[in-house]
Amino acid sequence: MTPELDQRAETSLPRGPRLTAHDAAVHALREKRDAAGRAEPDFERLRDQAQAVKAHTLDQLDVYLERFEASAQAAGARVHFAADAAELRQIVSGLLAAKGARRVVKSKSMLTEECGLNEALERAGIDVVDTDLGERIVQLAHEPPSHIIMPAIHQTRADIAALFERELGSAPGDTDPGRLTAAARRDLRARFLAADAAITGANFAVAETGSLVIVTNEGNADLGTSLPALHIACLGIEKLVPGLAELAVFLRLLARSATGQRISAYTSLVTGPRRGAELHVVLVDNGRTRLLADPRHRSALACIRCGACLNTCPVYRRAGGHAYGWALPGPIGSVLAPVLARSAAAQGLPFASTLCGSCSAVCPVRINLHEQLVQWRSSDSLRGQGRLPGTRLGAALLASPALYRAAGLAARIGWPLLGRVLRPRLLRGWLSARELPEHPGPSFRARFGARR
Amino acid sequence: MSARDELFARVRAAVSHKLPRPAPFEPARRKSDFAAFAAELAAAGGVALGPLGPAALGERVAALCRELAPERRTLASDAALLRLGSGPWQPVPADADPHALADVAIAIVCGALGVAENGAVGLDGREARPRALPVICEHLVILLETRRLVPEMHAALAALPEGALAHHHFTFVAGPSKTADIEGELVLGAHGPRSLTVVGIDAEGG
Repeated sequence: MTPELDQRAETSLPRGPRLTAHDAAVHALREKRDAAGRAEPDFERLRDQAQAVKAHTLDQLDVYLERFEASAQAAGARVHFAADAAELRQIVSGLLAAKGARRVVKSKSMLTEECGLNEALERAGIDVVDTDLGERIVQLAHEPPSHIIMPAIHQTRADIAALFERELGSAPGDTDPGRLTAAARRDLRARFLAADAAITGANFAVAETGSLVIVTNEGNADLGTSLPALHIACLGIEKLVPGLAELAVFLRLLARSATGQRISAYTSLVTGPRRGAELHVVLVDNGRTRLLADPRHRSALACIRCGACLNTCPVYRRAGGHAYGWALPGPIGSVLAPVLARSAAAQGLPFASTLCGSCSAVCPVRINLHEQLVQWRSSDSLRGQGRLPGTRLGAALLASPALYRAAGLAARIGWPLLGRVLRPRLLRGWLSARELPEHPGPSFRARFGARR
Repeated sequence: MSARDELFARVRAAVSHKLPRPAPFEPARRKSDFAAFAAELAAAGGVALGPLGPAALGERVAALCRELAPERRTLASDAALLRLGSGPWQPVPADADPHALADVAIAIVCGALGVAENGAVGLDGREARPRALPVICEHLVILLETRRLVPEMHAALAALPEGALAHHHFTFVAGPSKTADIEGELVLGAHGPRSLTVVGIDAEGG
């Protein structure tokens, strides 16, 4: 772990009731996911199928991208390709400028977070309003989202009540989630009606039909795209699925893995523009072809952004999403960061893991997340990053039998001192969350010698 | 080379075209009756009524509208009007500006299909229009023939009506608009409808 990550993990979610609440809230999602999986006889086979479909689709992504481009254009959409984040920002800004659009309603898209789209549009003087309630909360609080599907899960209802009182004029001290949601609904409804353009992501894109598939529980993408005359959808090139038969597999897995719902409230297949409106689709690379070309990490492109690996991860649950320092937190975020993240600190995320494997066990598309974290640790680009002074000392000790024996002897004699001297001073950070082990008694060598 | 061609060149250099397309998934058999559908709809926060015969339909839906939002603007699609006859509803204005629908209290439309495994109803863009109608209203009422129920999403996507994707949108709606973004607590009516009622119509009534 780099010192910067260490620091962030310490401060992003302070210990105490806030951390406990975060841990409980995300683990509740994990439990709902488990219950939904047990209740569905097809669940485990669906995961196998989803994994196979993604592997196939990624292996002929050029074919499916061309197919999608042709069918979406035939349906009346305009299709654009962006090599990186800068090109995405440029294309979207250009489309908005061409229409003179100043007020934009946006529904949740992890890709646009990854590419810093909001900040770029705001700098260009465009009024960008996130309409997913969680996204709106973090936007008003000037924070990044902390979870893929629950962007404000790190905030308590009291935080949100104070924020809404200040920003939306909700009743002072009213922490009722229903009334807070109503306050946001009133404010956002007016913004939906005044919008010049809608920007969305897409959960899937169907190559054979040219359809974008947009999934929400709030209906914000549906409302947002149904009013203004311009809809821009931004998605990574990995979102393709071959046809409707394959789409069914993912729609059955996505909500069950995310929240335990059988399906989200709104699943829209958008094929071509509304009459009198324009639909633009921007397909973004931004490092994805590098992952595609890397056999060890290609399968990370199969991710459907359900958040299940976050909800089960012992590190995410206690550190919170902001500890990760880039758009995608949790195990999938740590696997993708070395290629997709812009910040240097996020490159070291593969070291911020216990490698317990719980993420791989819940992934709906069976990505071997924890194995990929190990692979990153030994990759050329990251080698050495995780090597702490202690690791180097350990390596030296284990390499020399004489040194090892001497160190063992010294430790046995010095053991009582460790607790007294080291605890308050040298090892304060390490021991603040760990107990020293019991004194193990005589060494193996000594015992073996005595029995002979 | 254009940005598009460069992107395709990077993709082509990375892929092998060797993994075959997997055979279609074979789902386990399950029920697709109205009771199974209604149970899942209830779990998604919606309400199922019926199934009713065609004769009782207009009366029952009129009573429902009085319970939900009496004396407020209620619109019914052309197909819904054919089934309902006269009542406390008006036809959807032709080519309405969607912004003019902001005060709609109740929208009544016909569903194209229902999915027993998750309580979702498929709305065809030719029927649920303007696009804004089913999501801008405060209460959504969907009339659904029970013979249009399918067991799961595989069957649903295989049974999309002819031309369903040629009209901008086909939307699966499962329950009212909802959010759990504040401490994970479920709230109905995030942006769209605060309630969803699906009224089953018996097949023999057509």
